[in-house]
Amino acid sequence: MLPFFVELKPGLPLTEQVVFAVKKAVVGGQLKAGETFPSVRVLSLELKINPNTAHKIIATLVTEGVLVTTPGVGSIVAARAVGDKRERAEFLGADLERLVVEAKKMGLTLDDVQSGLAKHWRKLGGE
Amino acid sequence: MNVIETQKLVRKYGRMEAVHDLTLSVPAGSVFALLGPNGAGKTTTIKVLMNLLSPTAGEARVLGVDSRKLGVKERLQIGYVSENQQLPPWMTVRQLLDYCRPWYPTWDRDLEKKLLVRFELPEERKIKQLSRGMAMKVALLSSLAYRPKLLVLDEPFSGLDPLVRDEFIQGVLEVSEIGDWTVFISSHDINEVEMLCDWTGILTGGRLQLTERVESLQARFRRVEVVNDTAVVSSVVVPAHWLCYEQSGTILRFIETNFVAGKTEALCRERFPSAAVTAHSMSLREIFVALMRAERPQSREGALL
Repeated sequence: MLPFFVELKPGLPLTEQVVFAVKKAVVGGQLKAGETFPSVRVLSLELKINPNTAHKIIATLVTEGVLVTTPGVGSIVAARAVGDKRERAEFLGADLERLVVEAKKMGLTLDDVQSGLAKHWRKLGGE
Repeated sequence: MNVIETQKLVRKYGRMEAVHDLTLSVPAGSVFALLGPNGAGKTTTIKVLMNLLSPTAGEARVLGVDSRKLGVKERLQIGYVSENQQLPPWMTVRQLLDYCRPWYPTWDRDLEKKLLVRFELPEERKIKQLSRGMAMKVALLSSLAYRPKLLVLDEPFSGLDPLVRDEFIQGVLEVSEIGDWTVFISSHDINEVEMLCDWTGILTGGRLQLTERVESLQARFRRVEVVNDTAVVSSVVVPAHWLCYEQSGTILRFIETNFVAGKTEALCRERFPSAAVTAHSMSLREIFVALMRAERPQSREGALL
Protein backbone atom coordinates (compact mmCIF):
# COMPACT_ATOMS: atom_id res chain seq x y z
CA MET A 1 0.00 0.00 0.00
CA LEU A 2 1.18 3.48 -0.80
CA PRO A 3 1.43 6.19 1.90
CA PHE A 4 -0.45 8.65 -0.26
CA PHE A 5 -3.69 8.65 -2.14
CA VAL A 6 -3.79 8.77 -5.92
CA GLU A 7 -6.47 7.83 -8.40
CA LEU A 8 -4.88 7.39 -11.79
CA LYS A 9 -6.94 8.74 -14.64
CA PRO A 10 -6.08 7.48 -18.10
CA GLY A 11 -5.21 10.18 -20.61
CA LEU A 12 -3.44 12.60 -18.30
CA PRO A 13 0.34 12.23 -18.07
CA LEU A 14 1.00 9.66 -15.38
CA THR A 15 4.11 11.36 -14.03
CA GLU A 16 2.26 14.62 -13.46
CA GLN A 17 -0.68 12.92 -11.78
CA VAL A 18 1.47 11.08 -9.28
CA VAL A 19 3.83 14.01 -8.61
CA PHE A 20 0.76 16.16 -7.95
CA ALA A 21 -0.74 13.56 -5.62
CA VAL A 22 2.50 13.29 -3.64
CA LYS A 23 2.85 17.06 -3.33
CA LYS A 24 -0.76 17.25 -2.19
CA ALA A 25 -0.10 14.60 0.45
CA VAL A 26 2.98 16.48 1.70
CA VAL A 27 1.23 19.84 1.83
CA GLY A 28 -1.78 18.27 3.49
CA GLY A 29 0.37 16.58 6.13
CA GLN A 30 -0.35 12.94 5.20
CA LEU A 31 3.28 12.43 4.16
CA LYS A 32 5.52 13.60 6.98
CA ALA A 33 9.07 14.87 6.80
CA GLY A 34 11.61 12.10 7.27
CA GLU A 35 9.14 9.40 6.24
CA THR A 36 10.52 6.79 3.83
CA PHE A 37 9.08 7.04 0.37
CA PRO A 38 8.35 3.88 -1.64
CA SER A 39 11.11 2.72 -3.97
CA VAL A 40 10.84 2.74 -7.77
CA ARG A 41 10.06 -0.96 -7.66
CA VAL A 42 7.28 -0.65 -5.07
CA LEU A 43 5.79 2.38 -6.82
CA SER A 44 5.79 0.51 -10.13
CA LEU A 45 4.17 -2.61 -8.61
CA GLU A 46 1.55 -0.80 -6.55
CA LEU A 47 0.44 1.52 -9.33
CA LYS A 48 1.00 -1.11 -12.04
CA ILE A 49 3.01 1.27 -14.13
CA ASN A 50 6.16 1.01 -16.17
CA PRO A 51 9.21 1.22 -13.88
CA ASN A 52 10.71 3.83 -16.20
CA THR A 53 7.74 6.02 -15.34
CA ALA A 54 8.10 5.27 -11.63
CA HIS A 55 11.74 6.25 -11.89
CA LYS A 56 10.81 9.51 -13.61
CA ILE A 57 8.28 10.30 -10.88
CA ILE A 58 10.82 9.91 -8.12
CA ALA A 59 13.47 11.82 -10.06
CA THR A 60 11.01 14.68 -10.55
CA LEU A 61 10.11 14.74 -6.86
CA VAL A 62 13.80 14.82 -5.93
CA THR A 63 14.55 17.63 -8.40
CA GLU A 64 11.65 19.65 -7.03
CA GLY A 65 12.87 19.18 -3.49
CA VAL A 66 9.91 17.12 -2.30
CA LEU A 67 12.05 14.03 -1.71
CA VAL A 68 15.67 13.62 -0.68
CA THR A 69 17.77 10.58 -1.60
CA THR A 70 19.69 9.05 1.25
CA PRO A 71 22.38 6.49 0.41
CA GLY A 72 21.41 3.08 1.71
CA VAL A 73 17.87 4.11 2.65
CA GLY A 74 16.38 5.31 -0.62
CA SER A 75 14.27 8.43 -0.76
CA ILE A 76 12.68 10.16 2.17
CA VAL A 77 10.26 13.05 2.37
CA ALA A 78 12.10 16.35 2.65
CA ALA A 79 11.66 18.49 5.73
CA ARG A 80 9.29 21.38 5.22
CA ALA A 81 6.43 23.03 7.06
CA VAL A 82 2.96 21.63 6.42
CA GLY A 83 1.42 23.93 3.79
CA ASP A 84 -0.62 26.87 4.89
CA LYS A 85 -4.32 26.93 4.15
CA ARG A 86 -3.94 28.89 0.94
CA GLU A 87 -1.39 26.40 -0.41
CA ARG A 88 -3.68 23.52 0.45
CA ALA A 89 -6.67 25.21 -1.15
CA GLU A 90 -4.67 25.68 -4.35
CA PHE A 91 -4.56 21.93 -4.75
CA LEU A 92 -8.28 21.98 -5.24
CA GLY A 93 -7.84 24.26 -8.23
CA ALA A 94 -8.51 21.62 -10.91
CA ASP A 95 -11.59 20.29 -9.09
CA LEU A 96 -12.97 23.79 -8.67
CA GLU A 97 -12.39 24.61 -12.30
CA ARG A 98 -14.28 21.47 -13.33
CA LEU A 99 -17.16 22.49 -11.10
CA VAL A 100 -17.27 25.96 -12.63
CA VAL A 101 -17.25 24.55 -16.19
CA GLU A 102 -20.13 22.17 -15.43
CA ALA A 103 -22.11 24.89 -13.68
CA LYS A 104 -21.67 27.27 -16.61
CA LYS A 105 -22.77 24.59 -19.06
CA MET A 106 -26.01 24.37 -17.11
CA GLY A 107 -26.44 28.12 -16.98
CA LEU A 108 -26.04 28.39 -13.21
CA THR A 109 -24.78 31.53 -11.46
CA LEU A 110 -22.01 31.90 -8.90
CA ASP A 111 -24.69 32.27 -6.20
CA ASP A 112 -26.34 28.99 -7.28
CA VAL A 113 -23.02 27.21 -7.01
CA GLN A 114 -22.19 28.72 -3.64
CA SER A 115 -25.52 27.81 -2.10
CA GLY A 116 -25.26 24.29 -3.54
CA LEU A 117 -21.76 24.02 -2.11
CA ALA A 118 -22.91 25.18 1.33
CA LYS A 119 -25.72 22.62 1.29
CA HIS A 120 -23.35 19.73 0.55
CA TRP A 121 -20.82 20.97 3.09
CA ARG A 122 -23.45 20.91 5.83
CA LYS A 123 -24.77 17.55 4.67
CA LEU A 124 -21.33 15.99 5.11
CA GLY A 125 -20.99 17.43 8.63
CA GLY A 126 -19.04 20.43 9.88
CA GLU A 127 -19.68 24.16 9.73
CA MET B 1 20.12 0.01 -29.81
CA ASN B 2 16.82 -1.11 -31.20
CA VAL B 3 15.92 -4.46 -29.76
CA ILE B 4 13.42 -5.10 -32.56
CA GLU B 5 13.60 -3.62 -36.02
CA THR B 6 11.62 -4.31 -39.15
CA GLN B 7 12.26 -2.86 -42.59
CA LYS B 8 9.39 -2.94 -45.09
CA LEU B 9 8.34 -6.30 -43.76
CA VAL B 10 5.82 -8.21 -45.84
CA ARG B 11 4.19 -11.49 -45.01
CA LYS B 12 1.69 -13.17 -47.29
CA TYR B 13 -0.39 -16.29 -46.89
CA GLY B 14 -0.92 -17.30 -50.50
CA ARG B 15 -2.25 -14.12 -52.07
CA MET B 16 -3.52 -12.66 -48.81
CA GLU B 17 -1.19 -10.00 -47.46
CA ALA B 18 -1.29 -10.18 -43.67
CA VAL B 19 1.49 -7.70 -43.07
CA HIS B 20 2.36 -5.00 -45.55
CA ASP B 21 5.42 -2.78 -45.73
CA LEU B 22 5.93 -2.77 -41.97
CA THR B 23 8.77 -0.60 -40.72
CA LEU B 24 9.05 -0.21 -36.98
CA SER B 25 11.69 0.01 -34.25
CA VAL B 26 11.47 -0.87 -30.60
CA PRO B 27 14.10 0.95 -28.53
CA ALA B 28 15.94 -0.95 -25.78
CA GLY B 29 14.45 -0.43 -22.35
CA SER B 30 10.99 0.43 -23.61
CA VAL B 31 7.64 -1.23 -23.16
CA PHE B 32 6.12 -1.22 -26.63
CA ALA B 33 2.47 -2.06 -27.22
CA LEU B 34 1.40 -3.13 -30.69
CA LEU B 35 -2.29 -2.36 -30.85
CA GLY B 36 -4.83 -3.24 -33.45
CA PRO B 37 -8.15 -4.91 -34.05
CA ASN B 38 -8.54 -8.65 -34.51
CA GLY B 39 -6.97 -9.77 -37.75
CA ALA B 40 -4.73 -6.72 -38.04
CA GLY B 41 -1.58 -8.78 -38.40
CA LYS B 42 -0.18 -8.51 -34.89
CA THR B 43 0.30 -12.23 -34.31
CA THR B 44 1.74 -12.66 -37.79
CA THR B 45 4.28 -9.92 -37.07
CA ILE B 46 5.28 -11.56 -33.83
CA LYS B 47 5.60 -14.97 -35.43
CA VAL B 48 7.95 -13.49 -38.00
CA LEU B 49 9.98 -11.85 -35.23
CA MET B 50 10.22 -15.16 -33.39
CA ASN B 51 11.12 -16.99 -36.58
CA LEU B 52 8.00 -19.13 -36.53
CA LEU B 53 7.31 -17.67 -39.95
CA SER B 54 9.71 -16.18 -42.44
CA PRO B 55 9.21 -12.84 -44.17
CA THR B 56 7.80 -12.85 -47.70
CA ALA B 57 9.79 -9.68 -48.31
CA GLY B 58 11.67 -7.11 -46.28
CA GLU B 59 13.51 -7.93 -43.09
CA ALA B 60 13.15 -8.25 -39.34
CA ARG B 61 15.94 -8.07 -36.79
CA VAL B 62 15.73 -9.10 -33.15
CA LEU B 63 18.53 -8.32 -30.69
CA GLY B 64 20.55 -7.19 -33.71
CA VAL B 65 20.22 -10.50 -35.55
CA ASP B 66 18.16 -11.32 -38.66
CA SER B 67 15.02 -13.08 -37.41
CA ARG B 68 15.67 -16.02 -39.75
CA LYS B 69 19.03 -16.54 -38.07
CA LEU B 70 17.90 -16.42 -34.43
CA GLY B 71 20.11 -18.88 -32.63
CA VAL B 72 20.45 -20.36 -29.17
CA LYS B 73 22.39 -17.32 -27.95
CA GLU B 74 19.47 -15.02 -28.77
CA ARG B 75 16.76 -17.45 -27.64
CA LEU B 76 18.31 -17.60 -24.18
CA GLN B 77 17.65 -13.87 -23.91
CA ILE B 78 14.10 -13.88 -25.25
CA GLY B 79 10.95 -14.77 -23.35
CA TYR B 80 7.87 -15.49 -25.45
CA VAL B 81 4.32 -16.01 -24.25
CA SER B 82 1.43 -16.29 -26.66
CA GLU B 83 -2.28 -16.72 -26.10
CA ASN B 84 -2.16 -20.12 -27.77
CA GLN B 85 0.65 -21.45 -25.69
CA GLN B 86 1.08 -25.17 -26.05
CA LEU B 87 2.53 -26.49 -22.83
CA PRO B 88 2.96 -30.26 -22.43
CA PRO B 89 -0.38 -31.25 -20.85
CA TRP B 90 0.96 -34.38 -19.14
CA MET B 91 3.67 -32.53 -17.19
CA THR B 92 3.08 -31.11 -13.73
CA VAL B 93 4.01 -27.48 -13.12
CA ARG B 94 7.09 -28.64 -11.22
CA GLN B 95 8.13 -30.99 -14.01
CA LEU B 96 7.86 -28.25 -16.58
CA LEU B 97 10.04 -25.91 -14.55
CA ASP B 98 12.54 -28.67 -13.83
CA TYR B 99 12.67 -29.30 -17.57
CA CYS B 100 13.15 -25.65 -18.59
CA ARG B 101 15.59 -24.61 -15.91
CA PRO B 102 18.80 -26.29 -17.08
CA TRP B 103 18.60 -24.68 -20.53
CA TYR B 104 19.05 -21.17 -19.17
CA PRO B 105 22.30 -20.11 -17.49
CA THR B 106 20.55 -16.98 -16.23
CA TRP B 107 17.70 -18.87 -14.54
CA ASP B 108 17.04 -17.33 -11.11
CA ARG B 109 15.74 -19.95 -8.64
CA ASP B 110 14.77 -17.35 -6.07
CA LEU B 111 12.73 -15.50 -8.65
CA GLU B 112 11.13 -18.80 -9.67
CA LYS B 113 10.08 -19.44 -6.07
CA LYS B 114 8.86 -15.90 -5.63
CA LEU B 115 6.71 -16.04 -8.74
CA LEU B 116 5.32 -19.47 -7.83
CA VAL B 117 4.05 -17.93 -4.60
CA ARG B 118 2.83 -14.73 -6.20
CA PHE B 119 0.97 -16.64 -8.92
CA GLU B 120 -0.34 -19.21 -6.41
CA LEU B 121 0.52 -22.08 -8.72
CA PRO B 122 -0.05 -25.69 -7.56
CA GLU B 123 3.30 -27.29 -8.35
CA GLU B 124 2.11 -30.88 -8.37
CA ARG B 125 -0.88 -30.37 -10.61
CA LYS B 126 -0.74 -31.48 -14.25
CA ILE B 127 -0.89 -28.71 -16.79
CA LYS B 128 -3.96 -30.24 -18.48
CA GLN B 129 -5.82 -29.80 -15.21
CA LEU B 130 -5.02 -26.11 -14.91
CA SER B 131 -7.48 -23.35 -15.71
CA ARG B 132 -6.60 -21.06 -18.58
CA GLY B 133 -5.47 -18.34 -16.21
CA MET B 134 -3.16 -20.69 -14.35
CA ALA B 135 -1.73 -22.13 -17.55
CA MET B 136 -0.91 -18.62 -18.79
CA LYS B 137 0.76 -17.86 -15.48
CA VAL B 138 2.88 -20.99 -15.81
CA ALA B 139 3.86 -19.96 -19.31
CA LEU B 140 4.76 -16.49 -18.07
CA LEU B 141 6.73 -17.80 -15.11
CA SER B 142 8.76 -20.10 -17.30
CA SER B 143 9.57 -17.12 -19.54
CA LEU B 144 10.39 -14.68 -16.75
CA ALA B 145 12.53 -16.85 -14.49
CA TYR B 146 15.64 -16.46 -16.60
CA ARG B 147 15.30 -12.66 -16.77
CA PRO B 148 15.24 -12.34 -20.56
CA LYS B 149 16.42 -9.13 -22.21
CA LEU B 150 13.33 -9.15 -24.41
CA LEU B 151 9.90 -10.31 -23.36
CA VAL B 152 7.41 -10.84 -26.17
CA LEU B 153 3.78 -11.20 -25.17
CA ASP B 154 1.18 -11.99 -27.83
CA GLU B 155 -2.35 -11.22 -26.62
CA PRO B 156 -1.44 -12.30 -23.09
CA PHE B 157 -4.68 -11.14 -21.45
CA SER B 158 -7.08 -12.89 -23.74
CA GLY B 159 -9.53 -14.99 -21.74
CA LEU B 160 -8.10 -14.01 -18.37
CA ASP B 161 -10.22 -12.71 -15.52
CA PRO B 162 -9.37 -9.28 -14.03
CA LEU B 163 -7.57 -10.69 -11.01
CA VAL B 164 -5.32 -12.86 -13.13
CA ARG B 165 -4.64 -9.93 -15.47
CA ASP B 166 -3.42 -7.93 -12.50
CA GLU B 167 -1.25 -10.80 -11.30
CA PHE B 168 0.16 -11.16 -14.78
CA ILE B 169 1.08 -7.48 -14.97
CA GLN B 170 2.62 -7.56 -11.53
CA GLY B 171 4.63 -10.62 -12.47
CA VAL B 172 6.04 -8.74 -15.45
CA LEU B 173 6.79 -5.65 -13.38
CA GLU B 174 8.40 -7.75 -10.66
CA VAL B 175 11.16 -8.74 -13.01
CA SER B 176 11.80 -5.47 -14.76
CA GLU B 177 15.09 -3.70 -14.25
CA ILE B 178 15.29 -0.17 -15.52
CA GLY B 179 17.02 0.08 -18.87
CA ASP B 180 17.97 -3.54 -19.16
CA TRP B 181 14.72 -4.97 -20.30
CA THR B 182 12.39 -4.53 -23.23
CA VAL B 183 8.80 -5.69 -23.44
CA PHE B 184 6.93 -6.08 -26.73
CA ILE B 185 3.28 -6.73 -26.18
CA SER B 186 0.51 -7.10 -28.69
CA SER B 187 -2.99 -6.66 -27.42
CA HIS B 188 -6.42 -5.37 -28.04
CA ASP B 189 -6.92 -4.99 -24.30
CA ILE B 190 -5.74 -1.44 -24.29
CA ASN B 191 -6.77 -0.52 -20.75
CA GLU B 192 -4.48 -3.18 -19.35
CA VAL B 193 -1.59 -2.05 -21.41
CA GLU B 194 -2.00 1.73 -21.16
CA MET B 195 -0.14 2.37 -17.98
CA LEU B 196 2.61 -0.08 -18.68
CA CYS B 197 3.74 0.98 -22.09
CA ASP B 198 5.77 4.00 -23.14
CA TRP B 199 5.61 3.40 -26.88
CA THR B 200 2.76 2.27 -29.03
CA GLY B 201 2.27 1.21 -32.62
CA ILE B 202 -1.14 0.85 -34.22
CA LEU B 203 -1.61 -1.83 -36.83
CA THR B 204 -4.72 -2.14 -38.96
CA GLY B 205 -5.22 -4.31 -42.02
CA GLY B 206 -1.56 -5.28 -41.94
CA ARG B 207 -0.40 -1.68 -42.14
CA LEU B 208 1.23 0.43 -39.45
CA GLN B 209 -0.77 3.61 -38.91
CA LEU B 210 1.62 5.21 -36.45
CA THR B 211 4.34 4.59 -33.90
CA GLU B 212 4.70 7.14 -31.19
CA ARG B 213 5.51 7.66 -27.55
CA VAL B 214 2.28 7.28 -25.56
CA GLU B 215 3.05 10.55 -23.80
CA SER B 216 3.25 12.41 -27.10
CA LEU B 217 0.05 10.81 -28.40
CA GLN B 218 -1.83 11.76 -25.26
CA ALA B 219 -0.44 15.28 -25.39
CA ARG B 220 -1.79 15.97 -28.88
CA PHE B 221 -5.16 14.19 -28.71
CA ARG B 222 -8.18 15.83 -27.08
CA ARG B 223 -11.87 15.14 -27.11
CA VAL B 224 -13.35 18.58 -27.65
CA GLU B 225 -16.89 19.60 -26.78
CA VAL B 226 -18.31 22.88 -27.96
CA VAL B 227 -21.56 24.35 -26.70
CA ASN B 228 -22.74 27.12 -28.96
CA ASP B 229 -25.51 29.56 -28.18
CA THR B 230 -27.26 28.94 -31.51
CA ALA B 231 -27.73 25.83 -33.65
CA VAL B 232 -24.60 25.01 -35.62
CA VAL B 233 -24.65 25.26 -39.40
CA SER B 234 -23.85 21.87 -40.85
CA SER B 235 -21.69 23.14 -43.68
CA VAL B 236 -18.93 24.51 -41.47
CA VAL B 237 -15.52 23.65 -42.86
CA VAL B 238 -13.24 22.09 -40.29
CA PRO B 239 -9.46 21.50 -40.29
CA ALA B 240 -8.17 18.11 -41.45
CA HIS B 241 -6.70 17.42 -38.01
CA TRP B 242 -10.17 17.37 -36.44
CA LEU B 243 -11.51 13.81 -36.62
CA CYS B 244 -14.94 12.31 -35.98
CA TYR B 245 -16.67 15.68 -36.24
CA GLU B 246 -20.29 15.43 -35.10
CA GLN B 247 -22.89 18.05 -34.35
CA SER B 248 -26.42 18.15 -33.10
CA GLY B 249 -28.33 21.33 -32.39
CA THR B 250 -26.10 23.64 -30.41
CA ILE B 251 -23.58 21.01 -29.47
CA LEU B 252 -20.69 19.77 -31.49
CA ARG B 253 -17.88 17.34 -30.84
CA PHE B 254 -14.67 16.38 -32.51
CA ILE B 255 -11.33 14.77 -31.82
CA GLU B 256 -8.42 17.20 -32.00
CA THR B 257 -5.25 15.42 -33.10
CA ASN B 258 -2.92 18.40 -32.94
CA PHE B 259 -3.79 19.96 -29.63
CA VAL B 260 -1.91 23.07 -28.59
CA ALA B 261 -3.25 24.90 -25.55
CA GLY B 262 -5.04 28.03 -26.68
CA LYS B 263 -4.72 27.28 -30.38
CA THR B 264 -7.54 24.73 -30.52
CA GLU B 265 -9.83 27.10 -28.71
CA ALA B 266 -8.84 29.88 -31.10
CA LEU B 267 -9.72 27.68 -34.09
CA CYS B 268 -13.12 26.99 -32.50
CA ARG B 269 -13.76 30.66 -31.92
CA GLU B 270 -13.05 31.47 -35.57
CA ARG B 271 -16.06 29.36 -36.45
CA PHE B 272 -18.17 29.74 -33.30
CA PRO B 273 -17.37 33.11 -31.74
CA SER B 274 -19.52 32.75 -28.65
CA ALA B 275 -19.15 29.09 -27.76
CA ALA B 276 -18.00 27.35 -24.59
CA VAL B 277 -15.13 25.01 -25.46
CA THR B 278 -13.89 22.17 -23.27
CA ALA B 279 -11.03 19.87 -24.21
CA HIS B 280 -10.75 16.52 -22.41
CA SER B 281 -7.71 14.27 -22.25
CA MET B 282 -8.23 10.87 -23.82
CA SER B 283 -7.20 7.45 -22.65
CA LEU B 284 -5.15 5.35 -25.04
CA ARG B 285 -8.23 3.22 -25.63
CA GLU B 286 -10.29 6.29 -26.61
CA ILE B 287 -7.51 7.46 -28.95
CA PHE B 288 -7.37 4.07 -30.58
CA VAL B 289 -11.15 3.91 -31.09
CA ALA B 290 -11.18 7.43 -32.54
CA LEU B 291 -8.46 6.54 -35.04
CA MET B 292 -10.29 3.34 -36.04
CA ARG B 293 -13.55 5.23 -36.53
CA ALA B 294 -11.90 7.93 -38.58
CA GLU B 295 -10.46 5.30 -40.87
CA ARG B 296 -13.80 3.92 -41.95
CA PRO B 297 -14.68 4.91 -45.52
CA GLN B 298 -18.05 6.47 -44.65
CA SER B 299 -16.45 8.97 -42.29
CA ARG B 300 -14.50 12.10 -43.33
CA GLU B 301 -11.37 11.50 -45.31
CA GLY B 302 -9.38 12.94 -42.46
CA ALA B 303 -5.69 12.19 -42.65
CA LEU B 304 -4.72 9.62 -40.06
CA LEU B 305 -2.06 11.48 -38.19
